Amino acid sequence: MLKPLSSDRWNYAAAAHLLNRAGFGGPPAEIQMLADLGLDKAVAFLVDYETIPDPTTNPDWAKPNPEEIVKYRAAIKNGTPEEKKQAQREQQQLFQRRMLELRGWWLQRMMHGPRPFQEKMVLFWHGHFATSIEKVKNPYFMWRQNELFRRLATENWQHLLTEAGKDPAMLIWLDQGQSRKDHPNENFAREVMELFALGEGHYTEHDIAEAARALTGWSMNPEEQKFIFRARIHDEGAKTFLGRTGNFDGDEVIQIIVAQPQAARFITAKLWNYFAGQVPSEELSETLAASFRAHGNNFKPFLREMFRSEEFFHDAVMRNQVKSPVQWLVGSVRVLECQLPPPLISWGMLRQLGQDLFAPPNVKGWDGGVTWITTNTLLTRYNDAQSLVEGTVPPFGAGDLAKKPGGQGGMKLEKAMQRIRLGGVNVEKILTPEERADKHAIVTALERRLFQATLSHDQQQTLRDFLEAKTKMSNADIVTTIRLMMSTPDYQVT
Amino acid sequence: MKNEISLQTRREFLRQTVLGSALSWTVPAFLANTFSALHSQAADSATQIVTGKDSTILVVLQMAGGNDGINTVVPFTNDFYHKARPTLGLHAGKVLPLNEQVGLHGAMKGFKELYDAGQLSVIQGVGYPNPNRSHFRSTEIWQTASDSNRVEKHGWIGRYFDAACAGADPAVGVTIGSQLPQAFFAAQPKGIVFNNPQNYRFMSNGGSTEESYKKLNELEMSSPLAEENSGGSIGMLPAGMPMTGGRAVDFVSRTALDAQHSSDEVRAIAARVQNQAEYPGSQLGTSLKLVAKLIGGGLPTRIYYVSQGGYDTHTNQLGSQQRLLGDLADSVKSFVDDMKAQGNLSRVLVMTFSEFGRRVSENANGGTDHGAAAPMFIVGNKVKAGLLGQYPSLAPADLFQGDIKYNVDFRSAYAGVLEHWLKTKSEPILGKRFPPLPVV
Repeated sequence: MLKPLSSDRWNYAAAAHLLNRAGFGGPPAEIQMLADLGLDKAVAFLVDYETIPDPTTNPDWAKPNPEEIVKYRAAIKNGTPEEKKQAQREQQQLFQRRMLELRGWWLQRMMHGPRPFQEKMVLFWHGHFATSIEKVKNPYFMWRQNELFRRLATENWQHLLTEAGKDPAMLIWLDQGQSRKDHPNENFAREVMELFALGEGHYTEHDIAEAARALTGWSMNPEEQKFIFRARIHDEGAKTFLGRTGNFDGDEVIQIIVAQPQAARFITAKLWNYFAGQVPSEELSETLAASFRAHGNNFKPFLREMFRSEEFFHDAVMRNQVKSPVQWLVGSVRVLECQLPPPLISWGMLRQLGQDLFAPPNVKGWDGGVTWITTNTLLTRYNDAQSLVEGTVPPFGAGDLAKKPGGQGGMKLEKAMQRIRLGGVNVEKILTPEERADKHAIVTALERRLFQATLSHDQQQTLRDFLEAKTKMSNADIVTTIRLMMSTPDYQVT
Repeated sequence: MKNEISLQTRREFLRQTVLGSALSWTVPAFLANTFSALHSQAADSATQIVTGKDSTILVVLQMAGGNDGINTVVPFTNDFYHKARPTLGLHAGKVLPLNEQVGLHGAMKGFKELYDAGQLSVIQGVGYPNPNRSHFRSTEIWQTASDSNRVEKHGWIGRYFDAACAGADPAVGVTIGSQLPQAFFAAQPKGIVFNNPQNYRFMSNGGSTEESYKKLNELEMSSPLAEENSGGSIGMLPAGMPMTGGRAVDFVSRTALDAQHSSDEVRAIAARVQNQAEYPGSQLGTSLKLVAKLIGGGLPTRIYYVSQGGYDTHTNQLGSQQRLLGDLADSVKSFVDDMKAQGNLSRVLVMTFSEFGRRVSENANGGTDHGAAAPMFIVGNKVKAGLLGQYPSLAPADLFQGDIKYNVDFRSAYAGVLEHWLKTKSEPILGKRFPPLPVV
């Protein structure tokens, strides 16, 4: 059993920790609101999000459109070389625009959506199932998978894993759609055990081969752009899988996997790492797994218990997680109460910081943790902080954004970038006139807002000295102070 | 330079207090590296010390998009070749013959000169079992050196750094580009990336902002260093290896000092060193020009990574490949001349790769589609010059789904470079034993 946190340990810092980890952080007023609710109600406020209406509308292209696919395919197949080239370019540009819109749409949900915890879970599932547009090559399928993660974000594990396996983007990503009984493709069968549910060492190569046979028939209906079970290509024979024998199909394979004792250990350890920032000890891992099983393999009650536990508020957990690039960007914009940069800029920043949404590096997803930080990404964070607070366009050329070196689109992006103006931070909005009149108070108020903790005395002194040296301190100097605070090792952790 | 002094002071401080105790991950890599250099006899023998003055250097050159190897190293007297390529086939007058059967594409005069000077090795028919024809996946296979049915998250260069360069300066790997290639992904990521050295820095208008940034990023001396027990000697641990159990912010602090140190160094070198050869104005030429400067300036780098794109020639291949291969040969030739003028040529090896070659038969659009095996080039004055490996058969009966079959596994080429050039064991890096190709 996880130990419940005693109520006397619930305070502003604890509320900030909860909001940072279960969501994307927030300004002092939001943290205070949670602190005032008390632990249980604060956790419920985040976790029981279904009661909160979500008015977000979907992109207008987010629906099946097989005619469009057929149109481009015909032009590319039957056209003259010129027509072919034209159609390819048109489709590529259309899809690039949609992906940009999709990235902006999702970031806005994290930023302004009424259900931050739900989005935090969607981000977890995206990293877990690690599907990339690079292979799927269809923005509608990427959106659809994202919506699936949202719909089942804190649902039952077997249900989610089955649905994720039948999802069109996944059918393409791990080749399951091409698997047939005379030639089973083992890609999904392997990864569902190795990466999604059990981890290496908990199945054999023979289990993979048998699971691949059972999974045949899971396929795609191109007319409706959705999953279809094709009995003709399904292997009806008996299979022996993880110690059981039967004429299993794909659904039963998932059911058997999730019923393994290791399955609860695997997924809860990964969730703990995501929310608490640590690999759990063996003892804690067993406790987490037991809790998950006791809650019927349902994520919501398990996570509720986790967020109310003493373990989650342990010293080794608090302020000891490197912010992911998404956490860094969305969290910064939230605490500074400014605007998220336009999709093109946000995307550019996240790519350079190593977390290109909808394009994880490979099937294993992002490594996370301290690997987010290299000398490069750290300097980029420091410089992007300047762009965010001052409202300047960050120092990456549009050429860097164009996918292939020398590829098309570089010039167009360059022009688009020149037109972009960002908001920057409004210090009169985040500091009271009294605070702004007192250099000591400026540093204290910003510390509380940006870190929800204190810096070292030397660092505080450096910041005060910076302001003291200004004979006529302006708002721009306060903006620079914010940038300096964000340009510290301390700001990179939460 | 106030900062220089404080770094110097910290170096002194660490020398006096940390030597004789275990290195914490709060010690910046460049300082840790100084210690391991001081104590090189005691240091783990697997750890390579990079000084920037005498170690060997590898330049990896990616030809992105899948270069048509058959029209690069051309079997110009082969009947199967001309039958499969009635319009794209290159005849004797359009190639630079290396022997009676094969020649380099006519645009590659620079490579022919290197070949004649004994500075170019051509490895023929390089590939891997069960080839994958997706750009994305096949690039990943080359970058991670994995089997085609296994996914590795770390790259082969990253694993080299993990295995042999623990505690090295972050500039041990330098990528000219905008993103770290997957080849660099590692358990302890190292390597820096930039297009322009001016962007690899803390941007500010200088003055008190810059000064404050440096102060805010100074190492906190209060924490774990002082508490470290002083039982072991530095030689008992791989020097500078990040320890587990430290707090995340300590790791970031260490990286922040590394960043400050290496960005100052990179910009100083780029401003100081002059190139001693003329380069093409292309992206590749510009990248190699910068690499030459960094080598000349003594950056402690073992591996540089540059790339050239555009090889995905499904349509009208003749013109575009002519341009690309010309650019490749000219840029690399300029780089070799520059290295020679610097006196660094015997330290430098250039290795090219592309994610796959292309189909033997041309397509209906004057181009070629994704294929399998292709040649690799290795350049330097220590190379085993000439043609290595066998040219794969083009006889239709010998093809697999229209593609030539590989004769040399690319991981044998990697193994050769790792063992014979970087002087490290290849097996821990490549995951299994591949016979190292005698490339040098």
